[in-house]
Amino acid sequence: MELFLAEHKKLWSRKNVRVSVFICFVYMVVFAGILQFQWFTFGSRNDFTSVFGNNFDGYDVIRERQGYSEKYGHLLTDDTLAEMVSDYQYANEYGTVSDTRKMDWSVISTWLETLYPEQKKPSLYKYASQLMLDYVDTEKLTDIYGRRQEAIETFMEASGITGEKRRYLLSLNDKVKIPFSYVWTEGWRTVLGDSLPEYGLMIAIVLMISLAPLFSGEWRDRTGEMILTMKHGWEKDAVAKFFVGFVFTLEIFLLIAIPSIIVQITYMGISGWDEPIQCIKMIAIAPMNMMQAEIYEYIHALSGALGFAGIMMLISASSKNELLSLVGGFAFLFGPLMISEYLPYTIQLLISLLPIAGSASDIFRMDTLNIFGKIVWMPYAELLTPIIIMVVCIPATVKRWIKMKNG
Amino acid sequence: MVLSIDRLTKTFGSKIAVDHLNTEMQPGVYGLLGANGAGKTTLMRMICGILEPTSGEVLLDGQNIFEMGADYRDLLGYLPQAFGYYPNYSATDYLYYIAALKGIPKISAKAKIKKLLKIVGLLDVSNKKIRTYSGGMKQRLGIAQALLNDPAILILDEPTAGLDPKERVRFRNLLSSLAEDRIVLLSTHIVSDVESIADWVFVMKQGRIIAQGCIRDLVEDVQGHVFEMAVKPSDVGRWETATTVANLRREDNRTILRIISEDMPSDKAVPVPATLEDLYLYHFPTERSE
Repeated sequence: MELFLAEHKKLWSRKNVRVSVFICFVYMVVFAGILQFQWFTFGSRNDFTSVFGNNFDGYDVIRERQGYSEKYGHLLTDDTLAEMVSDYQYANEYGTVSDTRKMDWSVISTWLETLYPEQKKPSLYKYASQLMLDYVDTEKLTDIYGRRQEAIETFMEASGITGEKRRYLLSLNDKVKIPFSYVWTEGWRTVLGDSLPEYGLMIAIVLMISLAPLFSGEWRDRTGEMILTMKHGWEKDAVAKFFVGFVFTLEIFLLIAIPSIIVQITYMGISGWDEPIQCIKMIAIAPMNMMQAEIYEYIHALSGALGFAGIMMLISASSKNELLSLVGGFAFLFGPLMISEYLPYTIQLLISLLPIAGSASDIFRMDTLNIFGKIVWMPYAELLTPIIIMVVCIPATVKRWIKMKNG
Repeated sequence: MVLSIDRLTKTFGSKIAVDHLNTEMQPGVYGLLGANGAGKTTLMRMICGILEPTSGEVLLDGQNIFEMGADYRDLLGYLPQAFGYYPNYSATDYLYYIAALKGIPKISAKAKIKKLLKIVGLLDVSNKKIRTYSGGMKQRLGIAQALLNDPAILILDEPTAGLDPKERVRFRNLLSSLAEDRIVLLSTHIVSDVESIADWVFVMKQGRIIAQGCIRDLVEDVQGHVFEMAVKPSDVGRWETATTVANLRREDNRTILRIISEDMPSDKAVPVPATLEDLYLYHFPTERSE
């Protein structure tokens, strides 16, 4: 325990660690949290000309929009959808821009495009700036859940999802409760679709900077040789360092996640926690509500960060050069992301199992893996694989550290 | 306690750094003398278990040190030639960290650290960051970390490098007081350090021990090869080129040369008693020790 605490203290004593954690905190909590809610994304009651020209009134705007959505009775049905569209069209015709912005116009537009594609006008110049929401015929907005089922099956057919895989995905979809609970969704879409999927990557960058010198830095400090002559300098120190990396990852995660959740609750409250994620993406098949999805995305970020930390420590233990470790970590972090799109789909899927390479927003997709004849929904595999990678990295890292004495 | 080195060999590619070396050490102070590249550091690293030999083994009381693992390292104190430290740490923090690595519980480490800091003269500055220390202070801290676990085997690679004369004297005295019941092996270029504290000296050249023994016996080997002679100042250069000149001093308008040579260099040369430094220069004529 003393060795663990000593290594932990040493890690935090590095200036680059403290600076990178601070920058990450400011970016994730202040910019992607407070300022996003208060200013960049929702601070726009009266000014829609530019992002940075917006008003600093996000808190009030969110409350207003949440309050407005209450009138639809918390349920998404044919009637409430028609009412929302009708209200929007009325506001668009007779009200101000602010009146239309009270509504979930962006979310509703995506529903319409998914469920009623036949009503979409051809993309001619005169319609280019128009949303479907502006002109769709409310009388024809019927059978929303039948349409959704149809859209899912059409998508599956177009994507070549057949047989066992199709049955598996449809069985997941069968668990999605209808009719959907509904309140203002835009806030959740921002959190689950934009902010949280970035968490893993941001934490990974901090880990890359902080953990690259964990082992290799000992050679820069010329302490490696000395440590390896000490009683606990071999396995015990390597294991202590590894667990310090593990705990450090948890600390960074909590340091970012807890304030972010507090910021989110402060701005959005808990309103809409039981809405299904289908309100964000109509053809998603995961039977999850917003809170479950948020928990999933946080765990996804943590799992990816832990897996990446494991890889990073293995890289660090395999090199006597701190810069080389950093470059190795950089290559592992961004390499797969850069080349993935040029590779066959199956390889892309396998790459997304690597820590940080997959996205937390994959819960909105229909990707699956066939593992020893069993169909596994991709997000489940994305949670588990980085943890397995981290565990495998423990003995490999210890072995590499001890071997480095001869290097 | 016997530390045995049995046919110990280390090669790096085609270069033989340590060549079939055999010796035994019992408690006492051992000096390792040799020029740069003689294999001193490689030998010390193998004794410390941080470099695996190409062949041969290091045994402590008949047990291979690699098989002993942590038990062996628990008996070891090591100060490498390039002593490593964390610049942002204070001496106290640093020694606490080393104590954790050496498996010393924090409670007992506290008293030991204070005692050692006092011994090496760093107690007053123990809370200052190491990066603010002078070279000598850092070296003293290195000595303190090596002694922290009260090692039975103490390996010191160039321990007096960077120390001023006063610090060197203090260090020698410290080592002498520590030598009882432990094996202390120190390598150095500074012959006077070895001369004052080592009970036994190894002279290494090209990976081999070419001479070993107590200082008196070793010096005896070079008796008859050390001469003094007076020359004109203008001839000094010629003699320096032709022979190994250990020392020169001016007396009136002449220069007295101390020459190491197999044979008497001149009829005017007079044999003089040899020292350990003469022995060093006898074996390493191109080197000049401090």
